[in-house]
Amino acid sequence: MPIIVNLDVMMAKRKMSLNELSEKVGLTLSNLSILKTGKAKAIRFSTLEAICKVLDCQPADILEYKED
Amino acid sequence: MKINTKQMLKILLILSWIIFIGVCIEAGGSIFSAFYTLVINPINASRFWVENDLSSLYKYDPGHFFAETLLISIAAVMKACIFYLIVKILHDKKLDMSQPFSSEIRLFIIRVSCLAFGIGLFTAWGVQYTGWLVAQGVKMPDTQHLRLGGADVWLFMSVILFVIAQIFKRGIEIQSENELTV
Repeated sequence: MPIIVNLDVMMAKRKMSLNELSEKVGLTLSNLSILKTGKAKAIRFSTLEAICKVLDCQPADILEYKED
Repeated sequence: MKINTKQMLKILLILSWIIFIGVCIEAGGSIFSAFYTLVINPINASRFWVENDLSSLYKYDPGHFFAETLLISIAAVMKACIFYLIVKILHDKKLDMSQPFSSEIRLFIIRVSCLAFGIGLFTAWGVQYTGWLVAQGVKMPDTQHLRLGGADVWLFMSVILFVIAQIFKRGIEIQSENELTV
């Protein structure tokens, strides 16, 4: 898929672990893992909003478009 | 008292087992009766399985008797196969109500659809064949008694199940998309 999820990059920048993010965002670890590994087929606006709020970033910092 | 889905499935499993045993006995009975008449004792044709008198057919031609009983047996075996599949899917608990769209259920629906189509085809053929034999002057029992009735219903059922299988295909895609939405 040409949409790349850079969640791990942002987490590294903010020095935040997956467990901590999971607790703060309110998502399960398995769902966050699906998102992080790029297996997710869709992301809800509410999830994106929560992640951006916790990581203090913009949606474009997490999502990137790269042609195959 | 309210019956929930789990209890309903349990009742369906018990009913399916009873029907499965019934159709197995019917299939076995008609095959054995045909075999016994053709190989051991032709007198048995007068009281073929469930007291159907096929003696005039046997007297007319044992070949036609074989063809007619073959059609009856094939339809009976296919009915037994359908109920085997139903019992198997209910017994293995493949029906997960939290995630109902699965490839196993789709495969089950396609298989039942194919078997229903086969039964419809063979029973329709059997009815036509019986009609032709009656036209030749052979005294034949009613097709309902020969378990050859309801071909149109079987064909209708197979078409409906095939359409449901196609809907399931899309349902599986939507379900997997939904599971991968975070």
